[in-house]
Order: sequence, then C-alpha cells, then structure tokens
Amino acid sequence: MNFPSDMRVGRGTLRLISKALLWSALLAGVAITIFPFLWSLLLATHDRSTMFGSGLQLGIGTELLNNYDRLLSIMNFWVGMFNSFSVAVLGTVTSLLFCSMCGYALAVYKFRGQNVLFGMMICSMMLPPILTLIPYYMVINALGLTNTHLAVWLPFSINPFGIFLIRQYVVASVPKELLEAAKLDGASAFRTYWSVVLPLLKPGLATLAIVQFVFLWNNFLQPLVVLTSTEKMVITQMLRSVQGVPNTPWGALMLGTFISILPLVLIYLAASKQMINGLTSGAVKS
Amino acid sequence: MSMKNRLGVSLLSLGLVGSAVAADIRFDGFPDYDSQLNAILGGFSAHEVGMLMNEHGGHHDRLKTNLATGSGAGDVVLIDRGMVGSFIGEGGFVDLTDWYAPIADQYADYAVAQGQAADGRQYAVPVDLGPGVMYFRRDYMEDRGYDLDTVMDSWDSYLEYGRQLKEEGVLLIGDAAAVATAYWNFNVEPGNGLYFDAEGNSLVTGPRFKRAFELARQVRDEGMDANIGEWTEEWYAGFREGRFATQMSGAWLLGHLQNWMAPDTAGNWGVSHLPDNTYGTWGGSFLAIPKQSSNHEAAWGLIEYMISESIQLAGFANIAAFPAHTATYDNAMFEESIDFLRGQQARLLFAEIAENVHPVNPHRGDQIAESLIGTALEQVLNDGMDIDRALANAEQQIRRRVR
Amino acid sequence: MSAQTDIRPATLSSGLTPDRGERMKQLWHKSTPYWFMSPYIIIFGTFGIFPVFFMIYLSFHQWNPVAGLQSMRYVGLENYVLSLTDPMLWQTMWNTFLMALYSGIPQHLVALPMAYLLLLLGKRARHWLTTAYFLPYVTSTIAVSMIFFVMYSKESGIINLSLAWLANGSMTQWLFGWLNNLLPLGWVQENSLIRYSVSFVVFWKYVGFNIVIYTAGLATISDELFEAATIDGANAWQRFYHVALPLLRPFIFFAVTLTIIGNMNLFDEPYVLTRGLSQASTNGMTISNYLYRIAWEWLDMGSAAAISWILFVVIGVFTGLYFWFFGRRGLGGH
Repeated sequence: MNFPSDMRVGRGTLRLISKALLWSALLAGVAITIFPFLWSLLLATHDRSTMFGSGLQLGIGTELLNNYDRLLSIMNFWVGMFNSFSVAVLGTVTSLLFCSMCGYALAVYKFRGQNVLFGMMICSMMLPPILTLIPYYMVINALGLTNTHLAVWLPFSINPFGIFLIRQYVVASVPKELLEAAKLDGASAFRTYWSVVLPLLKPGLATLAIVQFVFLWNNFLQPLVVLTSTEKMVITQMLRSVQGVPNTPWGALMLGTFISILPLVLIYLAASKQMINGLTSGAVKS
Repeated sequence: MSMKNRLGVSLLSLGLVGSAVAADIRFDGFPDYDSQLNAILGGFSAHEVGMLMNEHGGHHDRLKTNLATGSGAGDVVLIDRGMVGSFIGEGGFVDLTDWYAPIADQYADYAVAQGQAADGRQYAVPVDLGPGVMYFRRDYMEDRGYDLDTVMDSWDSYLEYGRQLKEEGVLLIGDAAAVATAYWNFNVEPGNGLYFDAEGNSLVTGPRFKRAFELARQVRDEGMDANIGEWTEEWYAGFREGRFATQMSGAWLLGHLQNWMAPDTAGNWGVSHLPDNTYGTWGGSFLAIPKQSSNHEAAWGLIEYMISESIQLAGFANIAAFPAHTATYDNAMFEESIDFLRGQQARLLFAEIAENVHPVNPHRGDQIAESLIGTALEQVLNDGMDIDRALANAEQQIRRRVR
Repeated sequence: MSAQTDIRPATLSSGLTPDRGERMKQLWHKSTPYWFMSPYIIIFGTFGIFPVFFMIYLSFHQWNPVAGLQSMRYVGLENYVLSLTDPMLWQTMWNTFLMALYSGIPQHLVALPMAYLLLLLGKRARHWLTTAYFLPYVTSTIAVSMIFFVMYSKESGIINLSLAWLANGSMTQWLFGWLNNLLPLGWVQENSLIRYSVSFVVFWKYVGFNIVIYTAGLATISDELFEAATIDGANAWQRFYHVALPLLRPFIFFAVTLTIIGNMNLFDEPYVLTRGLSQASTNGMTISNYLYRIAWEWLDMGSAAAISWILFVVIGVFTGLYFWFFGRRGLGGH
C-alpha cells in the first residue's frame, strides 16, 4: 500500500481506525476464549441449587468457602493435585529429553530404518486410545506396573507429537554450519546435541513442555484403569469419581475443576516466557 | 481455616489414608454408594473394606477392562441395571445361587430374575431398584381442573391432555422421545424380552415399537414437547421454569428435583402410574463378585450385609437407594408423606410398583438394539423419516450386529 | 525425507585404510543416531508394539471383552466385511471428514496471521493475548460443554437471542429480517446444523494451540531477515507473506498434520454435544464416537478393531497424500 504523500493526513486517521478495529477484534477474541474459564470460577461460588438456573448464572454466589470445605470432605483433593503434579512433571521432563534426542536424530542424521521409524511414529498417532486401552492394560499388568505412577507417564514420554515437533524445530532453527563447526572443534555427538543444539531449541522445548504437561495433567483414560488406590489417584480421576447421578456436589466440583486448571495456566505462563525470549520482535515491528 | 492449614490437614490425612489401606476386600462402584458405605461399614467388622469409586461411565469401562484381562477388579462390584444383561452371561462372575437362593424370595422378583443368566443361575443380586412413575405438575393438573385418573387412563387421553395444555402455553414433556421409550419398555408382551423374543428374533418392527414411535411423533409434530435432550442444562432449566407438565422417570428423580433441579417447585409435584395403568422400572443396581477376586467368601459377606433388611433401609434413608428387600416396604418410612409432592405418600406407590413389575428376560443384544432403536427414533422425530422404514432399517442393522 | 542434512563424519569418506581403532570409531559413529533414537525404540518396543499386534489379531476375531481373553473366536474377514458394508461407518466417516474440514481450515487461517499479528504488537500484549487464546485448550471439558450447551440453547441461548435481536432490531431488520423464518434454531438438535456447532467448539478450542505452535515457529526467524525486508520497503503484510510464511513452512506442515490426525480422531466435543436422545447424532457422530459405541457399549471389540484399521488406512491415505504433496517442502530444511 503506497499512499501518495498528499494523503498523509488521511493515512494517519486510517491507521487509527484500523488500529481500533484490530484491537476490538483481538479483545472480542479474548472475551470468547476467556469466558468459559471465568464462568467456571463463578460457578465455583454457587451451590448446585443456584447453579442450574435459566440461562447463564452471572452473579457471584456466596458458597465459595463452603464449596471448598465440601471439596476437601469428598476427596483428598491436594493429594490428587500432588499426584497429578508429580506425574506431569516427571513425564514432561523425561519427554523433553527423549523427544529432543529422537527429534534431533531424525533431523540431522541419515540412517537405515529412519523412514520406518518416522512412519511408525506418525502411524501410532492414528490408533484410537479408546481401543488400545485393553492391550495397554495387559502390558502394564504383565510388567507389574499396576497402581504405579510410572505406568501413566513413561509410555507417553516418547510422544510422537513431541518428536515430530522437535524434528521440525531443529530443521528450522539449527544451521548446518553450526553443527559442522562443532564437529571440527572435536565435540562428540552427544556434546553437540547437549550444549550446542539444545539451547537453540528453547522455544520449541517450551512449546512441547506446555503440550505434554497439559496432556499428562488432563489424561483420564489410562489412570482410570491403572491407578486404584486413593493415595495414587490423579486429580482428573478424583474429580470425575464424584460425578454420581443423585448427589453430585456441583459447586465443589466446579471449584476443584477451576483450581485444577490453575497449574496449567501457570505452566503456560512460565513456558511462554521461554518462548518469547527466543523472539526479539524489535525488527519485525519496525 | 487458612489455605495453608487446610493443605497441611489434608497432607496429614494422606499419611492416615496410607496406613489405613490394609483393606482385605475392595468394593468398586459409583457414587452415591461411597456415602452409603461410609455410613454403614461401621457395622461390618468381619473385614476391612476398601473402596474404589468412579463416575458411572468410567466405573463400567474400567470393569470391562478388568473382566477382559482377568485382573484388577474389586472383590464386590456394583453394576447398573442397563449393563447387567450383557455382563452376567459371559462367565466373568461367581455363581451366587447357593448363597442367594435361600433368601431370594425376600427381594423383588423381577429384579432377582434380571440377575440370572440364561442358564438360570444367579450371577448378580439386586441392591436397589428404580420403580418407574409419571411425575406431573399438580398446578397444571388438579389446580386447572383436570382429573388425574382421566388423563392417565390411556396414552390417547394423556396426549389429549397435552393438546389442551398446549393451548394454555404449557408443554406436556421435555423430550418426546421419552414417551416412546416408556411405551416400548413397559408394555412388553409376556414371555418376550425387550427387543427379542424367546428364540432371539428381533421384535422391533412389531406393533409395540410402531405404536411407541407413533405416540412420540404425535407429541413432537403437534408441538407438545420442547425437543430438549434429557440431562442437559436446558432440561434442568425447563423444570425450574415449570415449562413441562409431566416427566416419566424412576423414583430417584424425586431426589434430583427436590435437591437441585427445581427445589423452588416444591409442593407443585405429584407422582402417578403411567398411562394405561402401566408399571415399569427405570434403572436400579446390582452387586456381583468377579471370578478374579481372591476372597469370594468375604465378598459374599459384604453383599449379604448390604442387602440385609436394616442396611437396605439405611440406604433408602442415606442416599435414596430404593430397597430391593421387599420386607422394608412395611416400615413406617414408607408411609411418610412427602412435602415436595404436596404431601403425597409416594413411597407406597413406589413399593407397589416394585412388587408388581413383571420380569423381562435380558438378551445379549439388548444394548445394540437399544442404541439402534434410539437412532431410528431420532430419525423419525427429527428428520421426519417414515416409521416403518426407520424400524426396518434398525432391524436390519440389529440382525447384522447381533452375532 | 529427501532433504535430510547429512553430517556423517568425514572419516567415513576418507581414503585411509581403517585400522581396528578406526573401525571401532566408524562403528560408533554409525551407531550414533540409534543411540539418540534408543528411548523411542525401547519404550515403543515395550509399551507400543504389543497393542498394535493385539489390535491386528483382534480384528480377525469376535470378542466380547466381558467374557475374558479366552473367549476370542476366529472369524476371518467377517469383521472387515461387516464394517465395510455398514452404512453407519460411512455416515460417521463422512461426518468426521466434514467436521475436520469445517474446524481445521479456519483454525490455521486464523492462527497463522494471528501469531504474526501478535508479534507485531510487542512483548507484553503478545504474552497476555496468547495466554488468553490458549485458555480454551486447558479449560475443562465439563465447563466447556456446560457453557456451549447453554449458548446453543434453542429458547434461551445467547446465539439465538442475538440472532432474534438482529432480525427484529430497527437498524438491522432490513438485513437480517429473513432470519425470523428460521428462528429458533436448534443448534444441537438439528442434523443440518450440528456439524457446524461441533466444528465451532473444536475451532474455538484449538486455535490458541496453533497460535502457540506458530509463535514458537516465528521465534526461529532471525531479525535480520525482517530488517532486510523492511529496508527493501516491504510493509507488514508483505513481510508476513514473503518472509514469515515461507520460513514457517515446517511448522505449518507439522501443525496441519496434527490437525488432520487429531480431527479424524475427534471424540470429546461431538460426544458431549450430542449426548441425550434428541440430539442430532446422525450427522454429529464421528467415527471415534461410533468406535466407542461398538467397542464399549455393544461390546464387540473385534469389529471395533477392524473399523479402527479401516480408519487407520483412511487417515493414512490423507496423511500420505499430504506428505506426498507438501512433504518435500514441509519436512526438509536448509
């Protein structure tokens, strides 16, 4: 858009208008995405008799503290939170290591069986988990891993999604020359990966960390069949386990659900910092 | 209590839970049975009972996985009435006949029969029932000059009531589909199953289903329902706002209406039998012992305790689980009048229904037929498909699927 | 996969006669990629391989899981024949395909420019806006389903109320008056609308996720490139189109692959929105929902396994075609 110079004034107003339009569109988007999240907080202040009114309940209820007490009386809420946290942290850290190793190998090496392995990964994403649940349980059972946290994070630490993401990230962000220079310096393959490549992958790793953490935290199917004792159960399991027909304490449940999402938001904020540090937007902006 | 204190307290209780876990038998079920067990286990000292609760769907999927792989199930499991037919005939459960037969006549016959497989052995025993009734709004019935007996005389008079209500701006029911389901569920011909006859032939193109579909279509086409799916937020709102004059359901719906769905409508409700003097059941639960349990005796001990007369009554008081033990119906509790139903002695009606329902033979294809018929009904009501064609399609699918 | 960066050690191609030590070194070098791949090989070998073979085996058997493992009965190709001639399979496949399109394409058309736009807005705005857009991805399904049910409500839902307002408002009547003939719309009751209703929820849930992927992708583009383009007189749009877009290719490729696979496996959103008997499940049910029904409600694991392999082939064909057409650009790098 090359405006002639005599239109400069008009261009200024045009800019202002388009900026206003842009921001109202962006903020409308925010309203749509953030609303259910805040709404679940609102619901957490109600009890179930005031919750299911007609339309949307937009008033703030008075039941927040009661709901909290009820929540603690129906489940070991903080035990569940702690379990979810330890599963998600262990699983995420391990998968950052494993996925980056595999993704790195797929991106920079050429080796026999590479296409087969990569194809297998993509294909294994296509098998519906609701059907592999029974054989998964058989494996876990055969290995003696029932009722262990290991069973609900280790199998997912080689998430094909993560390997694929890192592979793409290495392709896009690690210059070939850098790897060659490292080799000329006599760095071993593992050293190159660890101290040359990994630091460059920070934004990619941050993305993977978010996705993996959210997945492990929200995962329900595998914990459902594997974790059987209350001191091992994760929070998704606990929250669902009280959704019985007649007496579901919806207010307490919404409060628990809301609290259980907060770590995800915090992890997102932390990881997002890492992602953004990789971006120096000054030049793009000018 | 501050947040920090609460956190501390619950972490402390973690330690306690850890040490108290030395249970020797485990009960797998869904809520509200956790409340019931917590209330009654004090009286059961023979064994230390652990609990594993999951929400209804999750519990059954988990149990299916356990049965499939032969490991991981509890010693006593709770099974919903809807699943019991497909579970018990497959060899995964302990035969309870020797223990149960001597006391079986103390329980509602139809439910006892539902716990028996085709070989006539008892693999599951009823623990609670769901007598099916018609809930109706008294303020749209006698308060407006209608006569309940006339309205419930036949299905046609029930629909006629709906037409008149429509003139007054009230809907007969939330979802027309419920009319059809009630009709085909509660008018089963003697000797037949729900969807299959004794030889296993499909019945879905028969007159019972045709009539059921026609009734529902009249309700829908004449605008007597709201076309709102059951158990959705909109449905709850409909009850709260008094948009629906009637609803067919189990005795347990009373608790929902009273506690959270529409507490403000107290005093406006009543219950009755279904049109044409129909009785039926809506839900109910069973107890069974998976073969993989290592302690059948102890498991039976817990079941025996849970179905004993006093505990059955306690269950009714604690979690409104309607007792399967028929001697409990003589208890004074059953004569209490219920304010929510404008003082009606509704429990007597529930008990009468429980004792008069006829057993219907389960068939292993019931689940398949149920969902295919549900799809057919949706096609008729929503897409205007011809009834005969929809039913014929469903029958063809059922034949293919039930192998 | 043709454009792999090849950095095999120089010793491999040197003309020296390798002595024993050299040979060991060579072997070590050759095995390096396998060392890096070993976590995948070991863990997939332990947890992943068995389910695959189990599912293949299962697809040739009739099996009611409730009856235990020993009750499997060999039926040859019967499950495949039964499934391939099942009209419901093709109906649900078609539903899935359409919903994948309706929700998938807008996701990327919105997320790509959005990620770039957020970059233009500066650090702080970007941080908080992406966080807000990412929230649907973490918000619980219970809350999401409740809110959408309420919004889609036929009588009192905010969508129908706004449409009615538009159709009857004095300013907007001339444009939206025709809507009055259609209202109230049964967003989750009518088969003609259900796919759009479900697709919108899916779009809503994953758009922020894609923005995050693309933001991470933009982080790989060096400032100098944008600077150079600016000096050459490129405006913001031209910089997006000519600089950012080509360099984002590996990420677009990745994110679209994920959308294809994820959308073809769509389960939660349609399941929640079509619960209840009177919802439009004919057009709203996806193949994963149907699989669940067959496997866990009808207890016919054999047929379900056969269907999942049919689905596998279908997704495989889509993904394969996609790799074929875009893989060279999408997978390769430098």
